[in-house]
Amino acid sequence: MTASRELPATSMPGLSRGKLAALLTLVTGAACLLLQDFAPWIVRFPEAWTLPATELVGAGLDAVLSAIKPVMRAWSWLLSYPMSWANAVLVGSPWPLIIGAFTAAGWYIGGFRMASLTFLGFGFVLLSGYWSESMNTLSLVSVSVPLAVLAGGSLGILANEVPRIRAALLATLDAMQTIPTFAYLTPLLLLFGFGPVVGLVASAIYAAPPMARNVILGLERVDPEVKEASIMSGAHRWQQLFLVEIPAASQQIMVGVNQCLMASLSMVIIAAVIGGFNDIGWEVLLTMRKAQFGQAFLAGLVIVIFAIVIDRLSGSLALERKRHDRRVTWGLLLSGAVGAVLLALAGADTAPDGVFSAAAAAVDDGLGAFTATHGATLDGIKNSAMFYGLLPLRIGLDQAVLPFTWGFQWTPAMSLWLFAIAALVGLGLAATGRQMAGAGLLIAVGVVETGIAELPWPFVIVGTTALAWVAQGTRLAVLSAALLGLVLISGLWDRALLSLYLSGAAVFACVVAGGALGLLSAVSAIAWMIIRPVCDMLQTIPLFVFLIPTLMFFQIGEFSAFLAICAYAVVPMIRYTRHGLVSTPPEMLEAAVSSGATPWQTMTDVRMPYAAPAILLGLNQTILYAFAMLVIAALIGTTGLGQSIYLALGQADVGLGVSAGAAMAILAFIADRLAQGFAEERRKALGL
Amino acid sequence: MIKTVTTVAAVLAASGVQAAELGAADKPIRLAINEWTGQHISTHVAGEMLKAAGYQVEYVTAGYMNMYQAMSDGELHAAVEIWSSNVSDDYAKKVEGGGVVELGDLGLDAKEGIAYPAHVAALCPGLPAWEALKDCAGTFATAETLPAGRLVDYPADWGTPGADRMTGLDLPFKAVPAGSEGALIAELRASTERESPLLITFWQPHWAMSAYDVQFVDLPVGNEECFNDPAWGPNPNAVNDCDFAPSRIFKAGWVGIEDMWPAAFEILANYTLSVEDQQPMMGAVDVDGGSVEEVVADWMAGNEAKWKPVVDAATR
Repeated sequence: MTASRELPATSMPGLSRGKLAALLTLVTGAACLLLQDFAPWIVRFPEAWTLPATELVGAGLDAVLSAIKPVMRAWSWLLSYPMSWANAVLVGSPWPLIIGAFTAAGWYIGGFRMASLTFLGFGFVLLSGYWSESMNTLSLVSVSVPLAVLAGGSLGILANEVPRIRAALLATLDAMQTIPTFAYLTPLLLLFGFGPVVGLVASAIYAAPPMARNVILGLERVDPEVKEASIMSGAHRWQQLFLVEIPAASQQIMVGVNQCLMASLSMVIIAAVIGGFNDIGWEVLLTMRKAQFGQAFLAGLVIVIFAIVIDRLSGSLALERKRHDRRVTWGLLLSGAVGAVLLALAGADTAPDGVFSAAAAAVDDGLGAFTATHGATLDGIKNSAMFYGLLPLRIGLDQAVLPFTWGFQWTPAMSLWLFAIAALVGLGLAATGRQMAGAGLLIAVGVVETGIAELPWPFVIVGTTALAWVAQGTRLAVLSAALLGLVLISGLWDRALLSLYLSGAAVFACVVAGGALGLLSAVSAIAWMIIRPVCDMLQTIPLFVFLIPTLMFFQIGEFSAFLAICAYAVVPMIRYTRHGLVSTPPEMLEAAVSSGATPWQTMTDVRMPYAAPAILLGLNQTILYAFAMLVIAALIGTTGLGQSIYLALGQADVGLGVSAGAAMAILAFIADRLAQGFAEERRKALGL
Repeated sequence: MIKTVTTVAAVLAASGVQAAELGAADKPIRLAINEWTGQHISTHVAGEMLKAAGYQVEYVTAGYMNMYQAMSDGELHAAVEIWSSNVSDDYAKKVEGGGVVELGDLGLDAKEGIAYPAHVAALCPGLPAWEALKDCAGTFATAETLPAGRLVDYPADWGTPGADRMTGLDLPFKAVPAGSEGALIAELRASTERESPLLITFWQPHWAMSAYDVQFVDLPVGNEECFNDPAWGPNPNAVNDCDFAPSRIFKAGWVGIEDMWPAAFEILANYTLSVEDQQPMMGAVDVDGGSVEEVVADWMAGNEAKWKPVVDAATR
């Protein structure tokens, strides 16, 4: 929130509008500060004023759900067929045949490199002792990814072809990504029955949006001249689309397929929570429940290995036109089959037991020993972060500054001094022509003094609406006010502010760290070689796995939750920043070099501006991921909307679950649109 | 088919014979496997008993909190270890809706309480007496709870029994909900490794009780008066100034079991397992690394007297 507040200071075409908005926010804030002692309803929205929204939503949904249940059950029945076929093939075939077949495919697509990667990857899976569980997982993914690619691709094309519904469609995509599956798990089970198909549907819902987004972006960026050429050659619309534009956008679309795959694999754990399917996610859940980090990590690594192998294979498939010697392919396949027959004859056709259990136990012991030796240091890190960062942000300096945190007690006089100094500096800034910076500073000081979770609701609503007005105009302003109003009267306001604070802090940290890492990866191939697999791992390994060490180091609490959110949400920022920076067209770079630009100038003046749209997409994904992670963070024990969703799950309260999920999506939606709006202004200001 | 079976069963019951028909013995009975080892053991023992009676059994993994829809749809047939202290409200809804029926107590004696790993006794002298906590709150304080002590409570969706005790007994502790069972265990582990203070809401039978040498705090006996009458107990102004309400562990199943597999219904309804039997099996799996199937098979072979009569009574 603070990040976007300071942005308008630099360059605003509509200065008067910005000033008006800032003034309005300031006045509201000051009024709230002055009045809060006389009218407590300003700080806490009275419960008597809230509507029983969750009950209403619950009742409404019940009616809808029972009406569409038969149709969905039929769908479920249909989907169970490809699912059971894939399962029969993958689980039924002996393991040497499967390894042989995948290695052969690796050779055919990418030669020795891909073949060895595939062989080693599947070899690891075999030796981990989770072969049959892994094959169950693979059969789930092999159905859910095509489903999500198809759904996401069609949504993307639809948005491209029918510009009128585009805004609504983009909002829907956001909702699909931010409303946590747990929020609608109860209705999903009701609609689709029990077992893997529910996991399939859930994972397709979550994995389709990145695909759709990348298709939209890719098609948008197809060179107008290419489009014109296809129109002139007399192709009708479908031919233009499928023969010219989609192939031209294939690189961006492949990023979408990759992200879709990663998202699908990361949902494996949700399929396990539903159950009905003895897959690798179930193993992760069991070991997580026992807080066995080594074992959970091993099971999680299997998912990562699949992600890396499938990702690199699909990448080569898209990029390399050259195909490799078929004789080797057949040879590999044949040797797999021979191996299977030999094993069957020897009577040892079941997959071997795991060989890594000792290593897993060692990792687990190592974690314990580390916690024991570095306990004091870890506590120090946590306490500093809490005392000087997170606590003031949440409850404000007036409550966070206490003798046993900062060494002294905060007094109302100090608040007055703080405001007085901020006002002076603000006036100074305003006098030198930077009115927006001055107002922004005052507002920021007010927020830190009060704390995000304690902000008076009129201030939040007025401030956000004003920001939205500056960022994108009246439509977004009205929409923001209406949506926030909904959250307010639904009685979820306090929890929403807690969630806002936690994910806001995480997004801010991710943008700074992720941007820097993305830049580093773009300029240094070695850095990317190291960072890339880490990104793959963070995105696909069920994050439940990392909850254990985080909890052991930093215990239950907000700092652990903050770290868990950052670990996941930083990845898109890194990926998209790098992707944007390295995909600058060579002719632009050549032009820059020939006109005498230094490498640094090329970076700041050519590559960064060109990368802006991709980086913005990264920001969008980071915001959405941060909100999506709230529900995982709730497993650590945060309060806020994430916790409400688990409460709803426990009480089978469909209304509460969906309302809390919707509130989460609303926050993410507004935060994202604000950031995008200001970034758009920047882009225009830069003349892009 | 089902109808005739019912009539036969009815005739048998009327003629005073306790045994029931097998029913559709060629159709597998699907038993729910939830997320914890104790439940796996209870379920496998039940499953082996059903097999001994001549049934086919399928073990199906199912989320503990969200399995009742499947049970009510008849896609899942029984779950044999449901804790009354932590049961989804969906269960009551599905029982009311007529899709799910209770199948009686499992007979496991559960205990919940405020607990601590053994090394904490040295950090807060006077434990296990609850009064000792009055003076040690500072020892248990952390960044989030200062100046109060920190009590790690159950995940919010299991209820807040720990917080209720702290309020009831007027102890200077702030309850922090854990979020998940894994988080509770991670706290126990970290505290044991670092020998740091920890007060936690916990229960038995649980493998971690022995693994981390967990002890319960002695609280005043929990009874009905304590939960309803503020005047009762050490704190004259509050209820809940005592131990936890005893929790019940029971079995439940799909409403159609009785018609489809009459003998299986009898077996599941009469099946019990005691803590003394379950706890060593849990240890054999979680601590010694045995597989649930083998451990249960060994127990079944060595303890026929404990389960055979139930099967015989239903099928003879």
